[in-house]
Amino acid sequence: MEPHAAAAAPAAHGAAHASVRTYVNVAIVLAIVTAVEVTTLYVPGIPKSLLVTSLLLMSALKFFLVVGFFMHLRYDANVMRTLFVGPLLIAILIILALMALFSAYILLPRPTL
Amino acid sequence: MADHAIPHAVHDPNIGTTGLDNRKMGMWIFLGSDCMFFGSLIGTYLAYKGKSLSGPTPYEVFNIPLTSYSAALLLASSLTMVLALAALEHNRVRTAALWLLATALMGLHFVLNQVYEFYTFATHEGLRLGTSLFGSSFFVLTGFHGAHVTGGVIWLLLIVSLAMRGKLDRRDYTKVEVAGLYWHFVDIVWIAIFTIIYLIP
Repeated sequence: MEPHAAAAAPAAHGAAHASVRTYVNVAIVLAIVTAVEVTTLYVPGIPKSLLVTSLLLMSALKFFLVVGFFMHLRYDANVMRTLFVGPLLIAILIILALMALFSAYILLPRPTL
Repeated sequence: MADHAIPHAVHDPNIGTTGLDNRKMGMWIFLGSDCMFFGSLIGTYLAYKGKSLSGPTPYEVFNIPLTSYSAALLLASSLTMVLALAALEHNRVRTAALWLLATALMGLHFVLNQVYEFYTFATHEGLRLGTSLFGSSFFVLTGFHGAHVTGGVIWLLLIVSLAMRGKLDRRDYTKVEVAGLYWHFVDIVWIAIFTIIYLIP
C-alpha cells in the first residue's frame, strides 16, 4: 500500500501547492473583487470605457487567481502551463477576430453612417 | 519496504516519459481545447451583440442579483474543491468527501438557478432559442456552460459515492485533482461569462 501511496502523493510528482490558509485568502480576495465588480455597475456617472476596462481587469484578476492557486498552475510544470496558456491565447484571438469580423466593439463607440 | 518503494514509484503506469502524470496532462490538453470552444461561443455572442432585430434586449431580461449569487456559488465551490483535495492529501477521506459533497451541491444549486433563469426568460420575457440573435447566442453559450457544470456535479457525486463505499484514499489524489481541474475550469469560464455577458453594458 505504502509504496503506491508514495507514488500518488503530489510531492512525488514535484507538484507542491498552496496551504489551506492561502486558499482561504484567495477565496476572500475573489469574493471582494466580485462584490466590487457588481457594485461598480450601480455607481452613476462612470464613463463606459472606464467601466468596461475595470470590469475586464477585475475579471482577469479573478481568472488568474483561480488558475494559479486553485488549479495549482503556479506550482505546476512548465509544460502544463504551456498546454493551457497557448490555447487560452488562441481563444482570446478567436474572440477578437470574430468581433473584428462583425464590426463589434466594446470599448469604442459604434461607427455612425 | 523502502527497497520496494523505488521500483513501484518508477513503474507507475500513469507517469509518462516526461515524468508527469498522463491523466493531469490529458486534462490540461482537454481544458485548453475547451478554452477555444468557449472562446468561439463568447466571440459569437459579442459579434451578434446589439444586432438583434426583435425580442427583448439583454438588459431588459438579465437578473443581475440572481446571477451574482450564482457566480458567488461557483467561486465558493472552487474553495470547497481545493479544501477537499487538501483533506485527501492528509488521508482525511471523510472530510474530503464532505467538502466534495458541498462542492457538488453548490454546483447543483447553480444549475437550478440557471434552469429558473431560462424558464423565466422563456415564459415571462418571451426570449427563446429562436427569438433573436441574442436568444440563440445567449442560450447556446450559457447552456453549454450549464451542461459542463452538470457533468462536473455528476463526476463529483461519483467520487463521493466511492468515498462512502470506502474506495477512496490518498492514493486516489490525482484522480480527484483531475476532477478538481475540470471543476475550477467551469468556474473560470463563468468568471468570463459573468463579466462579458452580464456585467458589461
